[in-house]
Amino acid sequence: MIKYKKLLALIAALAMLAAACGSGDDDAGDDTVEDETTEETTDAGSDAEDDSMEEDDAMEDDSMEEDDADSGAMADGEFEAGLDFNAILLPKFTGIAVFDQANEGALEAAGELGTTEAEFLGPTADNSVAGQIEIVTNAATQGVDAVMISNNAGDQIEPAVADLVDTGAVVVTWDSPIPSSNGESVFVAQVDFDETGKVMADMARSILGDDGGSFAILSASPDASNQNAWIGALEEVLATDEYADLVLLDTVYGNDESEESYNQALALVDQHPDMELIMSPTTVGIAAAAKAMQDEDLCDDVKVSGLGLPDEMRAYTQSGCAPEFALWSFVDLGYLTYYVTYGLATGQIEAADGASFSAGRMGDYTIETDPTRDAGLRVLMGPFTVYNADNVG
Amino acid sequence: MTGTLGFLTREDRRWELLLFGILVLTVIFNVTQSTNYVGVNNFVNLFELSIEKIIIAVVMAFVIISGEIDLSVASVMGVGACVVAALHDSTSVPFLLAIIIAIGVGGLAGFIQGWCTAKLGVPSLVVTLAGLIGFRGLARILVEDRSIGDFPSWFDSLGQSGLIGPLPFSVIVFAAAISFGGVLLGRTGLGRRAYVIGDNAEMARFSGVDVVDYKIRLFVVSGAVAAFAGVLFAARLGSVRGDLASGFELDIITMVLLGGVSIFGGTGSMVGVFISILIVLNLRNGLGLANVEANTQTGIIGVILIASVVLRNTFDRFETPAAETDPVLPNEKTSANQTPTRREHE
Repeated sequence: MIKYKKLLALIAALAMLAAACGSGDDDAGDDTVEDETTEETTDAGSDAEDDSMEEDDAMEDDSMEEDDADSGAMADGEFEAGLDFNAILLPKFTGIAVFDQANEGALEAAGELGTTEAEFLGPTADNSVAGQIEIVTNAATQGVDAVMISNNAGDQIEPAVADLVDTGAVVVTWDSPIPSSNGESVFVAQVDFDETGKVMADMARSILGDDGGSFAILSASPDASNQNAWIGALEEVLATDEYADLVLLDTVYGNDESEESYNQALALVDQHPDMELIMSPTTVGIAAAAKAMQDEDLCDDVKVSGLGLPDEMRAYTQSGCAPEFALWSFVDLGYLTYYVTYGLATGQIEAADGASFSAGRMGDYTIETDPTRDAGLRVLMGPFTVYNADNVG
Repeated sequence: MTGTLGFLTREDRRWELLLFGILVLTVIFNVTQSTNYVGVNNFVNLFELSIEKIIIAVVMAFVIISGEIDLSVASVMGVGACVVAALHDSTSVPFLLAIIIAIGVGGLAGFIQGWCTAKLGVPSLVVTLAGLIGFRGLARILVEDRSIGDFPSWFDSLGQSGLIGPLPFSVIVFAAAISFGGVLLGRTGLGRRAYVIGDNAEMARFSGVDVVDYKIRLFVVSGAVAAFAGVLFAARLGSVRGDLASGFELDIITMVLLGGVSIFGGTGSMVGVFISILIVLNLRNGLGLANVEANTQTGIIGVILIASVVLRNTFDRFETPAAETDPVLPNEKTSANQTPTRREHE
C-alpha cells in the first residue's frame, strides 16, 4: 500500500506543477488586459511637430492605405492611438541588459499609443538561432500583427519569416537586420555603421591627444558582422590624412566572453609596449579591458575606449581608466521600433522610401533605402552618445 | 506470463503508462492555454521545429541502450550540412552527390569514434566529447565563418514545404525512422543484442555477440543519420553556418532519457522514447504559444526530467521483490533485477 501512496503523491506533485504553470500564465494574461484598458491614450496629440515637407511624401507613398488611415492623424505625421496591435518583441536572446532596456522603450511607446504591450519573448543564449526560429514560427500560429526582431540567425531566419509574413504579419528588424532584407519591412538601425568609425577615431584622438599615438582593437568574434563593419569604417577614417597620426597596431578577438577578452587585453599590453589605448567596439570587451588595466595598475599607461554601457563603465570612467566611450540608447531603439512597427501594422504608414512618421518624444523620422545593404529599407535612429566623467552619472 | 512484452520488463511498460499520463496532462494544459494549439498546421510545425533532433533520438536510443553515448551528433550535423554547403559553394559536384558525400563523411566520423570506443576501449563519453569539439571545428573550417545559401530550389522546398499534404519530407522520414527503429529494437535479434550488450558487454561477448563489430556499426549509423539530419536542417533553414545545430546533443539525449532509457544501458523502449518526444515537443509548443519565456520553458522541462528520474528510481525501489533483499546502489539494483526478468522471455 505504501508504495502506491508514494506514487500517488508524486503524480499529485506533477499535477500541481502543471497547475502552477497554468496559473502563472493566467496572471500574465490578466496583466495584458488590464494594461490595455488602463493605459492612457492621450499622448498622441501632445508632441505635435511640424513636418509639412515630409508629410507630402508620406501621403504619396500611402495611397493604398488612405482609406484606413485617420486623416487627422496623417496631417501632423502622428499615429492614431489605441488601434488593435498584438506584437512580439524578439531580442537576440534574453538575460542581457541592453535588450531589457529596449523592452523598456517598447513598453513606454505602448503606453503612449494606448495599445497592448508587446510580448517580450526571446530564446536562451545557447539556443539563439533555433529559438528565434521557433518563436517566429509560433507567432505565425498565434496570428500576431507584428514581430520585432533583433536578428541573430542571419539568413536562416528567412523561411520562418516568410511563413509569418504570409499570415499578414509585419516584420520589423532592429539592432541587427536580416542581411538580405527578405521578408523584413524596415530595419530600425541604431546608428549609421559608417559613423561608428568616425566616433571611435574621434574618441581615440581625444584620449591620445593632438600628437596622436598608437592603439589596438579588441573586438567580439571574427565573424560578427556589425563589429567588422565598424572596424572597417574605423580603418577607412584612419586612412585619411586628418587621422594619420593615429596608428592601429593590432586587432584581436575576445569572442564577447569576459575572461577571454580580459586575457586578450593583457596580451596586447605584453606584445605592444608602445600601445597607449585599447579600443573595443563591444560592451563585453570594453568592460573586460578596463577591468584588466585597473587590476594590473596599467591605467596610467594604457587607456580603454570603445562602445560600452554606462552602468558597466561608470567606475572605470570616473577612475580615468576609460575616460571616454560611446553608445546609443537601447531604450530609444525599442521605443522607435515600437512606433514604426505600430504604424506599419495598423496601415498608417507604408514601408517605402520617403515615408515619414512622428515617433512621440523622439520626433520625426523618415524611412529610407538602406545604404549599408544591397536591398532593404531602414529607419536611422542615431546619434551616438559619447560618455565621459561629466555625463556618465 | 509476459510474453507479449517483447524484450520489455514490466517496469518499462509501467513507465510508458506514466509517460502517457504526463502526455495527456500536457495536451490538456495546451488546449486550455492556447486556442491556436489544435490545428493541422500547428501540429506539423510542432514536429518540424525539432524534426532533426527527434530523427537522431531514434538512433540515440540504440546507442544508449547499448551502454554507450554519442555526444558528437550535433557537431556531426554541422559537418554534414557544411560539407554540402562547401561542395555546393566551391565545386561543381552535383547537389545530390554532395548530400551523399556528406552522409558518407558522417558515417566516417562515426566509424572513427566507434573504432576508438569499441576497439581501443576508450569510453564513448570521452571519445564523442572530443568529437563534439573536433567536428564542430571541422564544420567551421569548411564554411569559414560565412553563411552559405542559394541552394537548388527543390532542396529548399524539400525542407520548407509539404510533400504529402501538409507533411514535409523530414516528418515522413521521422515517422518511418521511429516505426522501423521500434520494430528493430523490440522485435529483432539486432535489437535484442543492443540490450544484452548494454546490460553486460562481457557476458554478451562470451555468448558469442561480436560486441566490437556491433558498436562500430552503431556509431557509423549514428554518424550517418546525424549528417543526414544536418542536411535536412540545412534544407529547412535555407542556409548553413558553422554553428548549425550547436547544443542540440543535450536536447536529444534528454528526450531519450525521459523516454525511460537508462543512462547505464540495457533498458528502455522505443514506445517510451516516442511518448517522451511527444511530451517535450507538445510542452515546448504549448508553452511557446502561451508566451512563456524560453528560460522558464527550459526550467519546466528540466523539472519534469528530474521528476521522472526520481519516479523511476522510486518504482525500482518499491516495486521489485529483488530490491528488497538486495541493498546495493540503485543502478546496480536496476541491472540486478532486470537481467533475470529479461531472461524469462528468452
